[in-house]
Amino acid sequence: MSELAIPTLEAQVKSERSAIGSLRMVQTASILVIALVIVSPLFMLLIASLKDDRFQILADMGSFRAFWVSNPTLSNFAEIGNLSGELAFGRYLVNSLIILASTVGAGLIVNSMAGFVLAWGSLRGRALILSLVIALYVIPQESIIMPLVIMVSRAGMTDTFAVQIVPWIASPLYIFLFYQFFAQLPKELFEAAQIDGASVFRIYRSIFLPLSLPALATVSILMGIESWNQYLWPILVTQTDYARPIAVAIATFFGQDSIYWDRAMAASVLMMIPILALYLAFQRWFVSSFVGSAVKG
Amino acid sequence: MTLQQTVRPAVIARSASRRDNGRLIQEIGMLAPAVILLTIFLAVPFLLSFWTAMTNQPLVPRPTPIRFVGFNNFLRIFRDELFWTSLWNVSRFTFWILPVQCGLAFATALLLHQKLPFRNLFRGLFFLPAITSMVVVCVIWGTLFQYPSGPFNQIIGFLSGGRIQPIDWLGDPNWAMFSIVLLSAWQAYGFQMIVYLAGLQGIPDELYDAARIDGANAFQRFWHVTMPGLRPTHVFVLVITTIQAFKLYTQVAILTQGGPKSSTETVVHYMVRSGFEEQKLGYASAVSVILFLIVLVIALLQRQLLRRFDV
Repeated sequence: MSELAIPTLEAQVKSERSAIGSLRMVQTASILVIALVIVSPLFMLLIASLKDDRFQILADMGSFRAFWVSNPTLSNFAEIGNLSGELAFGRYLVNSLIILASTVGAGLIVNSMAGFVLAWGSLRGRALILSLVIALYVIPQESIIMPLVIMVSRAGMTDTFAVQIVPWIASPLYIFLFYQFFAQLPKELFEAAQIDGASVFRIYRSIFLPLSLPALATVSILMGIESWNQYLWPILVTQTDYARPIAVAIATFFGQDSIYWDRAMAASVLMMIPILALYLAFQRWFVSSFVGSAVKG
Repeated sequence: MTLQQTVRPAVIARSASRRDNGRLIQEIGMLAPAVILLTIFLAVPFLLSFWTAMTNQPLVPRPTPIRFVGFNNFLRIFRDELFWTSLWNVSRFTFWILPVQCGLAFATALLLHQKLPFRNLFRGLFFLPAITSMVVVCVIWGTLFQYPSGPFNQIIGFLSGGRIQPIDWLGDPNWAMFSIVLLSAWQAYGFQMIVYLAGLQGIPDELYDAARIDGANAFQRFWHVTMPGLRPTHVFVLVITTIQAFKLYTQVAILTQGGPKSSTETVVHYMVRSGFEEQKLGYASAVSVILFLIVLVIALLQRQLLRRFDV
């Protein structure tokens, strides 16, 4: 069959080859146009954050000068980078980092343990728990936020770090991602360790977890983005600077009569750096595995 | 969203019975943190919201006891014109965001699926807005939208030779929601792009080869191989985008506060306002129950669609 097929295929590929050349050009041009649309606002942000004069920033925006800074200065960053005072963006950044690290750290442990037991445990009612977890996935954060605010304020948890961390550690989506990942590993792994006398926790800790780098990376990135970008929840549960995250602090720029764009831009760049670092660190595993779970999930 | 259950690994041979108890305790211990947290912070508030929705609970506790008011909150919501405006607004938003965001994501994924130079670099670049916080996106687009001499208006003025008057992107009721659509699509399309890329990778090369042998040209291959292969992906992307659209909040709260003239009022913004500015928590909970029901209906619709496509 293939002896017949190959010549026909090759002939057609050859005839298409000339068309492909011009198609390539169109494709490359399109990619570059999209890249321009996507990246230029971010590039503009970076450039503007290095400019000193907030009126000049707006004046430059409409021309190519938006992409060029003749005498870059870090004065905006110096102005907002302090840890106390009126524009204590350094402090808000640290707050956000504390919340991010705690949420993701605890989330990786809690969700992966649950996913592991649901995939490999011998517990009765495991299937029921799994379907309950999946059912909970449909509930959007926005629709539980009202009663949750009452609950945490009754518990005296407002204006703390804990209130921004603890409620978002366990998540149906991430439990399911871990479950799915663990369940597709070969059962010989589990059985061999069991015969050697390893306990369930030991098998999870020493064998399955080290193999789950793609799942850990994916959940870290997704949870990190989610935690870093929380906005509605922190404005409801923080009243003072003590635990206020940087997203809320940046948003306060918009309440003012004339916006200090120079500082807002610098604060925005500051806010992008940690999550960008997280993304770059884990990106290699992220793309390939987010993938499989997404469409089914 | 339907979460399809992956086939569970075969049942493991039971170990010696004296070890069973210890194993069970360990398993319960490993499962407990997640179950307890999900119960306290998801299941309980979810069930509570149905109860709160039927009371006159205020935000700040009052000496007067909380009264059960039945479906009164819901009736008042349905009689409030602003609620219907907010529902209409998120519908308009959905109508615009679906083609703009999903179209951009699909087109980009198709391009990146080709063997173009530097395509990994482009893939990384195109995902950057998706990791950018909505607050930062608002700072960027807030400058782009400046009236009358922001970048967009200057570009339009330059291209039209000054014939087109500057547009008050965020201040004109006719434009405000569309401006929100533009920045939202820019921010969120990266996720959809990755989902589409995964869908494209999932179509076996053999299908394309077979189509070539049958003499199908590039367009025919796209229409008869790529599109059918992407059906579940399309359903997933459209549903996720629709659900996100109905939860629209942050960009509106920061840039327009629902204005001008309520043209960007959304369901979640309406909910937060009635709960925290007007302090009517019972009323706001009723809105949140309605929001949940909307999301549930969309999710069930996805299930039905996927089942019809036999995936």
